[in-house]
Amino acid sequence: MTRGEHLRNLALLGTSAIALAILPHALSVYLRSFALFTMMYVVLALAWNIVSGFTGYTSFGHVAFYGIGAYASAILTADYGWHWLPTLGVGAVLAAAVGAVIGYPVLRLKGPYFAIAMLGTAEGTRVIATVWDSLTHGGLGISFPSAENSLETYDAMLTLMLVTIVVAHVVGHSRFGISLNAIREDEVAAEALGINATLYKLAAFVLSAVFPAVAGGIQAYKVLYIDPPSVFFVQITIAMALMAMLGGKGTVIGPILGAVLLYTAQELTWVNFPTAHLIAYGLFIVLVARFMPRGLVGFAIDRGWVRKGMVH
Amino acid sequence: MRSTPTLAGALVALLALGVVPARAGHRPNNEVLVGGAISLTGQYAEPAGRQVNSIRLWVDDVNARGGLLGHRIALRLLDDKSDIQTSIKLYEKLITEDKVDVLLAPYSSGITEAVANVTERYKMPIVAYGASASPIWEKGRRYIFNIVAVAETFQKGAVHLARQIGVTKLAVIGQDSLFPRQAGKGAKDWAQRLGIDVVLEENYPTKQTDFTALLQKIQASGAEAVISNSYFADAAAQLRQMRELGLNFKLYSSTVGPALPNFAEQLGATAEYVLGFSLWEPLPGVLGYPGMKEYIERYEKRYGEKPNYHAGGAYGALQVTEAALKHVGSFDSEKLRDALATIEVQTVFGRYKVDAKGMNSHEGLTFQILRGQRRVVWPEKWAETKAELPIPEWSRR
Amino acid sequence: MERSEVRSLYLLAVFLACAYTVPFLVGAWAGTVRFDERWLGNLATVVVAGVMQGGVYAMFALGLTLIFGVMRIINAAHGEMVMMGAYLTWVCFFYLGVDPLLSMVLTLPVAFLFGVAVQKLLLNAVVGQPELTALLITFDLGLTMIYTAELIFTTDFRAIPYAPGTVHLTRTIAVGQNKVISFVLAVVISTAVYLFLKLSRLGKAVRATALNAEVAMVCGVDVRRIYLITTGFGAALAAAGGALVSIQFGFNPETGVVYTLQAFAIIVLGGRGNYMGALIGGLMLAVLENLVSLMVPNGTAVVELAAYGLMIFVLLIRPGGLMGVKEG
Repeated sequence: MTRGEHLRNLALLGTSAIALAILPHALSVYLRSFALFTMMYVVLALAWNIVSGFTGYTSFGHVAFYGIGAYASAILTADYGWHWLPTLGVGAVLAAAVGAVIGYPVLRLKGPYFAIAMLGTAEGTRVIATVWDSLTHGGLGISFPSAENSLETYDAMLTLMLVTIVVAHVVGHSRFGISLNAIREDEVAAEALGINATLYKLAAFVLSAVFPAVAGGIQAYKVLYIDPPSVFFVQITIAMALMAMLGGKGTVIGPILGAVLLYTAQELTWVNFPTAHLIAYGLFIVLVARFMPRGLVGFAIDRGWVRKGMVH
Repeated sequence: MRSTPTLAGALVALLALGVVPARAGHRPNNEVLVGGAISLTGQYAEPAGRQVNSIRLWVDDVNARGGLLGHRIALRLLDDKSDIQTSIKLYEKLITEDKVDVLLAPYSSGITEAVANVTERYKMPIVAYGASASPIWEKGRRYIFNIVAVAETFQKGAVHLARQIGVTKLAVIGQDSLFPRQAGKGAKDWAQRLGIDVVLEENYPTKQTDFTALLQKIQASGAEAVISNSYFADAAAQLRQMRELGLNFKLYSSTVGPALPNFAEQLGATAEYVLGFSLWEPLPGVLGYPGMKEYIERYEKRYGEKPNYHAGGAYGALQVTEAALKHVGSFDSEKLRDALATIEVQTVFGRYKVDAKGMNSHEGLTFQILRGQRRVVWPEKWAETKAELPIPEWSRR
Repeated sequence: MERSEVRSLYLLAVFLACAYTVPFLVGAWAGTVRFDERWLGNLATVVVAGVMQGGVYAMFALGLTLIFGVMRIINAAHGEMVMMGAYLTWVCFFYLGVDPLLSMVLTLPVAFLFGVAVQKLLLNAVVGQPELTALLITFDLGLTMIYTAELIFTTDFRAIPYAPGTVHLTRTIAVGQNKVISFVLAVVISTAVYLFLKLSRLGKAVRATALNAEVAMVCGVDVRRIYLITTGFGAALAAAGGALVSIQFGFNPETGVVYTLQAFAIIVLGGRGNYMGALIGGLMLAVLENLVSLMVPNGTAVVELAAYGLMIFVLLIRPGGLMGVKEG
């Protein structure tokens, strides 16, 4: 990417940021929520992309980190009286730690086995959250003390999204990111070239765990109530993966696009067709997985609309 | 990148698109909007369905009398699919987008707890009829009121009956969610007070259908009776599997399942002798609340079956709401809240007069399924017949 | 076997031995274990129940392993196919009044055709590609099936009351009649499929394709047709599992998710693509689950963890499973 292009992207990001910051004051509470969740999915999709898109290790269990963040925030705020903001930091650190511990053995597995193992991890975390009820209140769930927080949470999510975009962009364009791509293309060759695959994979994995955790914490505070099934929801993992795939795995713009489009489409169909929307959604994702595995950006590259580079 | 300016434009356009589906709640014809989200589908659909029946009946009854404070009622009922997150979203929408005038409560303690946060935040009063877990009212909330008795009392009769037949060891099991756990807590407390030993206490996941190992565990613990804080599917599965495994207990009591009319139908002989709890039964001769007889007749005429306690509770709560609105003379939320906190109303469901926390003191009855019918067996002042306990063994039935 | 092979087999054996003793240890510590006759009777009942269930699990794991063996595709919608089988059986029972076991004559061919359709429309194109693509597609297919079932049948639990009697194997061990019937049928069906694969011409063609599709093609096998038949069979086996499950337990659209997971765990444990492995894996998993449920406090909730844990550890220690299936 040339300097000019970098500056242009930066300017774009800046103006969008300002626009989005002013936006909530003009919107109703419902739309504020909508915007917040859209941004949340952008964060999730980008984070997922860091490990699955760049490295090629498709994780079906990232919702585990989201859940960890949500629970960290809930337990500390509701049971220990912390102010909400620092709990996000705790959630992030916790997720990073769990990511490191789990990632190390699990990243040794290849392809679909890694995916299934991650799925198992997510479900396992859910079961632990349900059973360890002295800590998590189990099936009862945790209720936050009531608060009018739609503006605070919006701003927090906006900040998180901007940070995630910047990090994803930086990672994508750095030596680190290029090494990850090399690992995706051919791990053995990459190792032969001197790339410490284990370390890099783990780093990407841990990094990708942090953002969902913070997002989970913010969301928990927004909704004011969590319980294991709602937070360790497998649909969230699918949404993450789908949005990144729809937009284009392995790119930076891809997940953003995918998240915005998919979440908006989902919300519109839910509002207007409450019963049928799930089926339409299901069919849609089957078709995307089948016919557009490289996503919209890949599609655009093929058509020559966008210049091909390793990452955008 | 050439695509980025268009991307930014697309992003903003999309967000603007979101403005389109925002419909403001309009009020044509001097109507008033009464709305809520309840479980039309999902695991709570059966009990919630009966509450919906009462809601619709009430709306028609009130409209026939000239409406709420002279305004015709427009009803908006949304489906929360028995899911907490969906419910929260729907209530936010109903309050902020659709701007309902009067709120209807959801079913289940878990969902009500989550929704209570929303109503508290927007300062809209709501009378709950589908929640019995006292923690909801232990948080200093001002905008939620209850008409039904709390979960802790649900198994009181069963435990007393267990004592009467000389049970000394009890197993308490239940679904791992708010209401069953509170019911379990209550059961334990009563057992301790009556000198019964709780030898096993276990919660199972809400979707569990295979209880083989759990039932074996219960038998291994030496429990003579089982208190099961369960809904329909799990209670049914437990009974069937107890029969298949040839496991005999002196007493088996479930919370919600047996109160549903088709429980006895579907299980047939397997449901005999099962104890259940009911907050209310359509027995005007026994309970004698004002207007009961007429309400039961109207309900039966319209729906082809007698109302059960879910239906009765919903109707009672709506009667209270109507009375409070009449008292206030307007739909002002604050005044309505104050009225609900102080008035006393006699409804088809019983007396409504809440304490400082917003909870009503309501008494329910324990029944036993005998020859396919629910017969009240406890408390003695309302008992139709003596309980047939201990339960005879499967092989001898 | 090479040294590392032998080593990993020993490691796996040790791990499994530990996995089986853990429930006992936890139970002893928590006080739920007693070594008197009555408790041992409970234990035996639970183990027997596990074996019976294991037979049924093994049968639909067989379907999954078949699909994987031939096409290297992991069918993440397998549990949903089981669920579909259960619902089809229920429909036959409630609306046509057909005995649930007899209705398999109707439901299995329907499932077979469904499997063929899925293969033709969705999976044929991705057979050669990385396994992940197929995993994603089938995963999404499974979700769509759940949503469709929810729309048609709602999320209410259904059950088919059938053979409610008890069978007393010994004085203290009792098993539900329907469990025994299911087990027997599962064994019969699995054996039939196994013999078919070993002895019939079509079966041999399937096995040849599994070994090496290109060589099979050269030998005149219509590989595309074999793919269709394989998925059809896999779906039919899953549906049979569904029928047997429907007479034992309640089911709703989401119960399939757990079955998919269990089937995965079974084929990982037994060795993917290996039929004997599916049987052994099925029995081992079911028994372990029941042991955990009996002896671990709050065991019922932790059972899922057992399946996952088992699977992840096996993947790490010896990905080839008990039967030592190699990659490639």
